[in-house]
Amino acid sequence: MLPDDPMGAHPTDSPRIQGSGESPSTVPAVNSNYAKGAFVGVAAGVIAGLFGVGGGIVVVPGLVLWIGISQRQASGTSIATIIASSAAALISFEIAGSVDWSAALIVFVGAAVGAVVGARLATVVPERILTATFAVVLVIAGIRMLV
Amino acid sequence: MLEIVGLVALGLIAGTIAAALGVGGGVIYVPALVVIFAFDQHIAQGTSLAVILPTAVVATTAHARLGNVQWRLAVPIALAGILGAFFGAWVAFELEPDLLQRLFGIFLLVTAGRMALRAYQFTDQSEPEPGPS
Repeated sequence: MLPDDPMGAHPTDSPRIQGSGESPSTVPAVNSNYAKGAFVGVAAGVIAGLFGVGGGIVVVPGLVLWIGISQRQASGTSIATIIASSAAALISFEIAGSVDWSAALIVFVGAAVGAVVGARLATVVPERILTATFAVVLVIAGIRMLV
Repeated sequence: MLEIVGLVALGLIAGTIAAALGVGGGVIYVPALVVIFAFDQHIAQGTSLAVILPTAVVATTAHARLGNVQWRLAVPIALAGILGAFFGAWVAFELEPDLLQRLFGIFLLVTAGRMALRAYQFTDQSEPEPGPS
């Protein structure tokens, strides 16, 4: 809830904490990051289960804007957490009989290649261009779902 | 046959975006499966998750090699995410497919707005240096 500056999570800049000459106390920052992380995780998990998505849409901005890590680190960390939330949601959908495994397998063949390409792409193409393009695609998809 | 090619293409496109932004597999799979491949909303979501899970494993491996995963932060998010996901899925099955589809449409528009804002913010800031890797 603190309106701390976006770089607040960086371990080297806690100048206000006057330690005893030992290492500056980064413990409070780390603990609050755990609490923030848990909050972001619950929100992301609900979105993942409700909409059948990964939840990165919540995790990435949560990590960047609230915890203050870089976009690139947020993308990598987010996708690691998606392993857990998507697994939990998938179990629920499988129990309800709402998974088409053969279609999923076929899509995954393409996605496996895409994942490797995308991780490289993120290090080459400016984030701004990727994000803006993606936003346009989402608007089109969103309107189609509503109509 | 055409459908198989279409599904592979869907995976390739969405998988690329998902790994590049750490976001986005599901927000492409679900509407594509519903609108293009005529899936029921719930089955589209379940199938989306079945693709996202192994994709996330592959993408995490790629990101971890590039030093882009902060594991100490990932663990509490993941644990909380499991609880949230079970709750969210329970809610999803309480809803009619039609209502869920419309909610999903709204979710996409909100997501698009957020992404557009993010793209706009990037133009305001000086382009950040690539993080230490």
